[in-house]
Formats: sequence, structure tokens, C-alpha cells
Amino acid sequence: MASLRLFSTNHQSLLLPSSLSHNPLTSSSPRFVKNPIRRSPIRSVLQFNRKPELAGEKPRIVVITSGKGGVGKTTTTANVGLSLARYGFSVVAIDADLGLRNLDLLLGLENRVNYTCVEVINGDCRLDQALVRDKRWSNFELLCISKPRSKLPMGFGGKALEWLVDALKTRPEGSPDFIIIDCPAGIDAGFITAITPANEAILVTTPDITALRDADRVTGLLECDGIRDIKMIVNRVRTDMIKGEDMMSVLDVQEMLGLSLLGAIPEDSEVIRSTNRGFPLVLNKPPTLAGLAFEQAAWRLVEQDSMKAVMVEEEPKKRGFFSFFGG
Amino acid sequence: MASIDSLQFHSLCNVQSSIGRRAKLRIPSNLVVFRRRPVNLNWVQVETKRRFVCRAIGDSSTPDEDIQNTQNDDDVVVVVASTESNTPSDSENSVSRFRSMITTLPPVVFVMKKCSGNGIWIGICIAATVLVAAVRTYVVRKSRDNQPAGSVADLVRRGQLRSGDRRGISKSLNYEDPFNNPFVKLDKGNSTVEMCGKVYRLAPVTLTEKEQTIHQKRRSRAYQWKRPTTFLKEGDSIPPDVDPDTIRWIPANHPFATTVSDIDQDLAQTNVYQKQGVPFRIRAEHEAMQKKLEALQNEEKLNNLSIDSQNAREFQRPYKLGTKLEGENIQKNSQDNVTGNSSSEETHKT
Repeated sequence: MASLRLFSTNHQSLLLPSSLSHNPLTSSSPRFVKNPIRRSPIRSVLQFNRKPELAGEKPRIVVITSGKGGVGKTTTTANVGLSLARYGFSVVAIDADLGLRNLDLLLGLENRVNYTCVEVINGDCRLDQALVRDKRWSNFELLCISKPRSKLPMGFGGKALEWLVDALKTRPEGSPDFIIIDCPAGIDAGFITAITPANEAILVTTPDITALRDADRVTGLLECDGIRDIKMIVNRVRTDMIKGEDMMSVLDVQEMLGLSLLGAIPEDSEVIRSTNRGFPLVLNKPPTLAGLAFEQAAWRLVEQDSMKAVMVEEEPKKRGFFSFFGG
Repeated sequence: MASIDSLQFHSLCNVQSSIGRRAKLRIPSNLVVFRRRPVNLNWVQVETKRRFVCRAIGDSSTPDEDIQNTQNDDDVVVVVASTESNTPSDSENSVSRFRSMITTLPPVVFVMKKCSGNGIWIGICIAATVLVAAVRTYVVRKSRDNQPAGSVADLVRRGQLRSGDRRGISKSLNYEDPFNNPFVKLDKGNSTVEMCGKVYRLAPVTLTEKEQTIHQKRRSRAYQWKRPTTFLKEGDSIPPDVDPDTIRWIPANHPFATTVSDIDQDLAQTNVYQKQGVPFRIRAEHEAMQKKLEALQNEEKLNNLSIDSQNAREFQRPYKLGTKLEGENIQKNSQDNVTGNSSSEETHKT
């Protein structure tokens, strides 16, 4: 059975450094910057024929943020979280969006959310009663921070999440391997609350200039707050538009933001279907391109690795004369 | 023009028994000549129905005449037995034999001219095949472009959906293992990957650590930010002991602004860290209800203690009770009178 044999290394890149001396976002250079310098081919690619080994300290507290809304934070949280659960890691996903709760919808668990973090703080229930365990993968749990009509007490936001994370670390069944926090859009109180307990961040962006500007701003805030391990996922990539130079390539986005690449998710109409059905994309059989990309991103997240090569669409191979007859 | 004029057949066979009656001559010869009439110029036909006539050729003068006589009959085969060995006739026979061999070989030109009509048909077939293949390729490309992305047919073409799944005839895929993906194929020669019907090339990442450091420095200069610790509604006054840089102003309708914190922070933390037992509020409510019940029970007991069953009558209030009873009696009497009159009237009528 053929498999994607891409070998991961944590070694430094073998590429030659490019000459970058000014801010690419504020310079007057054209938007779509193409790097004309040819690089030597990279040998290291990602390895898929083994279970990923957990790197870093447990639990890994990851916040998924973007700044701009609608780029795919919640979708990324759901799919990456379930991919991690499929790999065998225990995952707790926290929907830190106050007032606009969506993560439970994507996971298909909206009817099972009875208690939220607000009820835990108020003493209406315990923390383990507020955790919703996914029946498909028992090592995946969801915690919503509040219901749409209930409010989190002012000033408690960041502290409440810190208490939650501490409580999860010391729970009787053991600390989870991953705590993934779905951050709300914007950079206001909700964002500040969500990033409080995080050690690392995944920045989700799309290859358009508005999302890039917001992503750059959010990256600056995260670095000011002390989060240095920031990786990027480029979502909704259209390889046909990149070929026609109507969209920035993944490498262009990386060059503008200067962040390590965790994954490049292609545009896929299955995302909408999976959202409406409450069935995450990574569970589809057969898997879609976007689902495969999410799995690969989860694999790299576990090993604290980043992409060393990007897939660029090419023309299909030319067939021989006799293929006309065979089809 | 090919034709077979004569066929010479050398045989040692003895035809004495069958032919001897007529000819009265034994033909021990070593030479038997079959002379046939050409029926068809193009083909050599051996007809077994011809009559074999054996004539005795004694003198050299007579055989030609006899042969000439029999030449008029088309179906007559003349068997000529000649005497032995005259050497000049041998050389003549060999020459004639050689001549007959050459004339029997069909010329190549004649064969080519015969097959000239088939070449056109072969060319037409080849041209038709090429045309069909070209048209088919064009139609396939056109249909591929016209098919909307994301449609079921497009998904089937891309390999993301199996056509048998919709008809319920496909076997289930064993895809519980995310590591071995049958839909990802690597090309061993080039650095290409085929996934879901599309071919991709691996392009190396160009970002270096030095570039990353440059970007971090740029952002640290551009974005100076302190984590806010105090959230104030718009319009509120700033407390004196709070750093203004750590204040975050939020709108009045923000969830943080509309919530009144009626719970102590320590209590909230305790609630979060609780691992077992009844949650605080539930317990508090339960205790409150318990107290209320106890209070009610105590009150009942108190009531029960003060009122003795034996002396219950002493505590009755006859006046009130009596006035009530008298009132009731009066009402009953009035009702009885009314009913009694009515009944008496009825009895009178009956």
C-alpha cells in the first residue's frame, strides 16, 4: 500500500538565506512577492508510517487564534483536536468564545452541552460534569466557557481559564496530553482571556491581505504576552488561483509573516458539509484533501515540527498515444 | 499468360490391366504423358472425370496424328507412352520443363495490381481511428471543464468518492489507520505526489531562522502591548492604584461589562478545583432547603406540643363555632322549608 513517505527532521533548513531587510507589509513592493532565487531541493519531508511521539511537556496548552474572523479557527480546532485523539492522545478542547459558541456545533455535540465553565465557577456543577466526552473518540472532551445567555464575571476571564487548566492537570484520571483553546475573533477581552494560560499558539490565516495584516498584529500581541512558539496554518488555499497568480502562494504568506508553517489546508467544499452535519472532516471516509492536510498538521503539532516543503499543483502527466484508446 | 499446356508425369506404374484391353498393348514405359486441354487460363484444374485414352504409339510417325485426333476432344486425356530413350528428346523435355516452371510463377506486378484496392480501405480505417481518438479526448476535456467543482461527478473523478458508494455495492474501506493512506501515491522518479486525482510537486520552504528573527524584531518595535488586568466600562473612573496601561476599556454591552460579580474570587477558584462531592451552589441550596424544612418541622412540633388532644375541647371556640353553626342551621332550615313546601305541594297535586 502506497503511503506518503515524508521524513521529518528538526534540523535546520539547508536553504540559502534570502536578502530580507525591510518590513514586507509596509514597503511599497508589489503584494505578490515572488522569490526568483532557486533553492536546492529539500530532502526532508514528513513521515507518516509511525505514530507521532509527543514532544514538549505535558499538557501542551495550545491556543488557536487568527485575529480576523471567519478564517477557520473553529474548524481547525475541531479537526486538529479529533486528529490528535485518533493518534491516541487525550485532548480537551475549550471553546473560549463568550457569547458565540460554535465548537460544539462542528463536533455535533450541541445537544449534550448542559453545563459550561460559568456553571462551574458559580458552583452549579463540578468540572468533570461540565466536560462533554465525544462518543466517537472517548479520549476527546469538550468544555464550553459559557452559554449564549450567561456571562462570565468581569475580571475572571483569564484567571478562570488558568484555574481550569490547573484543575485539568490535577484531575484524578490524569492530565490530558493536549488542551486546545479556540480563541474568539478580535483582540479584545475574549482574546486576552483565551491566550492567558497558553504556552504555544497556532495562527490561522488565509492567503489574502486583510487576514495577513490581522495575523501579523495578533502575532505581535502574542509575542508581547510571552508566547514565542507560534506556528501558522494557511487555510482555504486555492492551488488553481495560485497557478493563475490571483492568490498569494503559501510560501509568499510565510515570507510576509515570518512564521513556521504547520499546515496548508486546501479549499474544500466538504468543510461546509461537515460543519452542517456536525461531522468533522477528518472522520470522512474516504478522506478529503483538507482532511489529510489537517491530519498532517496535527502530526507536526505533536512532534513540534514544521513543514519543510509545500505541495504545488502541477499539470497531470502526459499520457502516451495508446492511452487515447484506453481512457 | 500462364497456362498449363502439358504435364509430364514419369511413372513406373504398370497400367496393363486397365488399359491393356483396349490398346492390346502393354505400356511398360517409363514415360507417361498427360496432355490436358486448357480449360481456364488462370487456374490449373485437374479433373478426374476426364477420360483416359491410351493409344499405342508404335511408330514415330503415327503418335502425332493420333494426338492431333484427340486434341479436338477437350475432356480427353491422352496417355502417350513413348519408347525408350532418345537423347535429343530428353534435352527438349528439360528445356520445356524449365519453360513451364517459369511460366507457372505469377509475376509480382500482377499480384500488386490485384491488391491495390485494399490499401485505400486500410488507410481509411487508420484515419478513422485517429479521428475518433482525437474527438474522444476533446470531449473528455470539455466535460471536465464544464463539470462544476464539488459536484458528485467531480468528486468521483477526483477519487474522493466512489461511485459504488451511492449504489450501495462498494466494499467498506479500512481506514482506521491514519498512517497508511491508499489515496496518497508517491512518484519514485520525480518529486511528485498524487492525491485525490491531482498531481502535486514538492516546493521547499524558503524561510530561515534569520528571517524569523528579523520579523520578530519588527513586530516588537511595531506592537507595544501590555496585558490588561483591569476591565472598566466606558465612563467609569480610573481607580487611583491602577496602572492606566493595564486598563482595558470595554463597551457597556460587552459580556464582561454586563455581569455583576456576586461571587467571591476565592470561592470561584474553590469551585473550579472541586473534584468530588456536591457542587457548592447545589449544596448551599440543599442546605437552605434543609434548614427550611427543619424550621417548618420545628414549628409544627411547637404547634403540636401546645395543643393537647384531651383538652382540645377546651380550646374550642364555641361562640364562633356556635355562631357559625347557628348560621348554618338557619340556612338549612330555610332550605328545608322551601323544599318541604315544594314537596307538600307536589303531594297535594298527586
